Amino acid sequence: MSRITRAGLATVSTAAAIALLAGCAGPSASNGGDAGEPAEGGTLTYLEPQTWNTLFPGSAGFYPNGGIVNNITDRLLYQDPETLELEPWIATALPEVNDDATEYTFTLRDDVTYSDGTPLDAENVAKNFDLLGLGDAERKFAVSEQVTNYASSEVVDENTVTFRFSAPAPGFAQATSAINAGLVSNDTLDRSSEEFGPGNATEIIGSGPFVISGEEIGTELNLEVREDYDWAPPSLEHQGRAYLDGIDYIVAAEDSVRVGTVTSGQAQIARTIEAPDEGQFASDGLHLLAAPTNGVNNGLSFRFRDPATSELEVRQALIAGIDRQAIIDTLFSENYELATGALAATALGYVDTSEYYEYDQDRAVELLDAAGWVAGSDGIREKDGVRLSLTFNEALPQPRSREVITLVQEQLKEIGVEVELLPGDQATQDAARPVPGELQVYHSMVGRADFDVIKSQFYSKNRNALLNGYPDASVGDQELDDLLLAIASSPTTEGRAEASAAAQQRLAEQAYILPFFEEPQVFGYVDAVQGFHTESIGRPSFYSTWLAQ
Amino acid sequence: MLYVLRRAGQAVLVLLLAFTVAYLLLAALPGDGVLARYGSAELGLTPEQLAEISAAYGNDRPLVVRFLDAGVGFLTGDFGYSIQSGAAVADLVAVALPSTLLLAGLGLGVAIFLAVSIAFTATYGKGRWLRRAFRNLPPFFVSLPVFWIGIILIQVFSFQLGLVPLINADPVEALILPVLTLAIPIAAPLAQVLMRSIDEVREQPFVTVVRARGASTSWLLWRNVARNALLPTLTMAGLLFGELVGGAVVTEAVFGRPGLGQLTAQAVANRDTPVLLAVVVITTVTFVIINLLVDLLYPVLDARLRRPSTARAAAPRATGSKPTSSAPKKGALR
Repeated sequence: MSRITRAGLATVSTAAAIALLAGCAGPSASNGGDAGEPAEGGTLTYLEPQTWNTLFPGSAGFYPNGGIVNNITDRLLYQDPETLELEPWIATALPEVNDDATEYTFTLRDDVTYSDGTPLDAENVAKNFDLLGLGDAERKFAVSEQVTNYASSEVVDENTVTFRFSAPAPGFAQATSAINAGLVSNDTLDRSSEEFGPGNATEIIGSGPFVISGEEIGTELNLEVREDYDWAPPSLEHQGRAYLDGIDYIVAAEDSVRVGTVTSGQAQIARTIEAPDEGQFASDGLHLLAAPTNGVNNGLSFRFRDPATSELEVRQALIAGIDRQAIIDTLFSENYELATGALAATALGYVDTSEYYEYDQDRAVELLDAAGWVAGSDGIREKDGVRLSLTFNEALPQPRSREVITLVQEQLKEIGVEVELLPGDQATQDAARPVPGELQVYHSMVGRADFDVIKSQFYSKNRNALLNGYPDASVGDQELDDLLLAIASSPTTEGRAEASAAAQQRLAEQAYILPFFEEPQVFGYVDAVQGFHTESIGRPSFYSTWLAQ
Repeated sequence: MLYVLRRAGQAVLVLLLAFTVAYLLLAALPGDGVLARYGSAELGLTPEQLAEISAAYGNDRPLVVRFLDAGVGFLTGDFGYSIQSGAAVADLVAVALPSTLLLAGLGLGVAIFLAVSIAFTATYGKGRWLRRAFRNLPPFFVSLPVFWIGIILIQVFSFQLGLVPLINADPVEALILPVLTLAIPIAAPLAQVLMRSIDEVREQPFVTVVRARGASTSWLLWRNVARNALLPTLTMAGLLFGELVGGAVVTEAVFGRPGLGQLTAQAVANRDTPVLLAVVVITTVTFVIINLLVDLLYPVLDARLRRPSTARAAAPRATGSKPTSSAPKKGALR
């Protein structure tokens, strides 16, 4: 029996040791790499919280998809992530645009090839945009959200292509620089929607600095450098092949595992470091990059056509009754800037409307009292048989949405408003979103570095966050819709900026929204990773990245 | 022969029921696969465009037609394509199934080893304190949440001590921590059942007889008690393996391994009917096979169950055995 006793003792002592060691935490990475000169070589290990589901560029809005598409494809134009200006890339210069922005002509470089050897010429570019602009219902490709009013393309000669639109499309130039317009080879474009999904990654051919070399469905994707890559955007410092030899995209869904893998040095960089985990990156050898998304801020949209929120005073009271700074202080970190308007301060067309979003609980109570909302026996206000009970959705793609809504619930209870959170997974939330009466307040955010982003969010035929447009095609606030449409149809930049400012002013005056913060994409990485950038909406760009040894 | 046919018939019935119930439950949830994939705000599709795509998937047909279509598809071996990603369901399963079976098999193996150690130490260990401590281990183990065990193991053995790498680990290294994580919570019910079983068997008169004849504790344990105490544990082990095949979703998520559990969770979240049905069919078949194996193993372990006549005689187990059947004594003295 001594054999069994020893085994038993061993088990017990191991269990005790584990329990003791569990108390110790703290990263052990102490990578003291210095800057020095960029060096070629090395494989970067990059951790993603979710796995990708398609490599079709039109659906690269989903962050895991975009992170891959951004590095295996090139686009016609390059958008500088800091200034948001458009610069040449595959196109040799900015496009020629006619007066009312219904015709765009691009001249292409003639030395670009795909990784399978086929040339990137005007015919291929036309084919790419035909699919993005017109879609293909049979092969299950939807029209791209960013390419509006597309009519046709024309191949003028081998390196010149013209695009025509049925109505002004001033946002098209920026759309050609987005990940959603990544260029892929002719063979790739012939694939059906299914054939862009997991299991087919190595057959998706782009012209970018990296090529997909291997795939394990659901867990890993391997990228290899393209040696003969020589057509980086001319404005970039680095030209020629990328520094890295390869990149391994590995899925690590569990937050603590993802963070710990980087802090212990087993991986070099990870996306989505949640606010509570940011403290772990404060030690030596670890860094955080909070990349801005330059679009509409993370915030609430009040659905003003619903009886409970139809009065201006009620919406103003809701705004005055929510303490945004407290939410940021409690749940987030200094990387999350308090919003000063519908758009991020770095977004195109931003105007400061912060005076409409001040917190003042007393004023909130006054507004509701003056509007005739009287508290019932349970403390919740009522008027004309309508209870001030609001249902919020849970914005699963946004960080800590549930916690934010819970905090809002506490704050609004104090002024007599009841808040309920719609439970359920993404599919349930999506099903409830367009139905009038299901949700009174909608929590969301959208990132796109163009004037059109605010139209994308609020226009009745796009995301329609305010549910301004009902399924029966009626529109509640036609003036707002017209202002938003003006952004997408003014041919000049000044005209678009003016229209955007007018739309933001209307949103603020009518108390349609309450923006919380400018949502960043937070990356955590070790010292050895140098030259890491993100593109204009916070997706990783590994072209100029190198590993210090 | 008749027995096998009867079991096969039952298996088919169970499979049909599971298939139907899974299909109906998924159809009852709000939203559907097309909405889950194309209805997100990011894509910004109008309801007309969504309807077009829905029609391309054949989702505008009535529920019964779609159900029969899916069923016929399965019978002909065409598992279809995932609505969420477009990947062939057969591909997804081909990646997930071996990984899950390996993890489940090893997990169960380690759990059995742990359970046996705990149970034997709890009943035959030297020293009352030791036995008492081990008796309390099963409730302790079963109360530890699986994800907590996984995370603690990773933190200690991978991040702090650096013994096991998480990234780019070779296949053996990559299995150590997940297997341990799975084994600990399921060792608990196994150990508990085994302990109770051993306690019961120890009360039997034949044990006293054997001890009176000079058997050591070791002889007693391995040659007499164990065999007889194993039956309930075997049933439990079979059930647990079946659960592991479909349900190790938390461990798979924590360690980033592909598996049927992950596939199921994602299929439900994405209302991905083809994937879910494939997983349901596979897990049902697994359960049925395991049950069949366990039932076939019973007579091997317990001689009383070998022939129908003695099986019935063994059922009313009492100390007063009928003089005609000598089988009980034979089985006991092996």
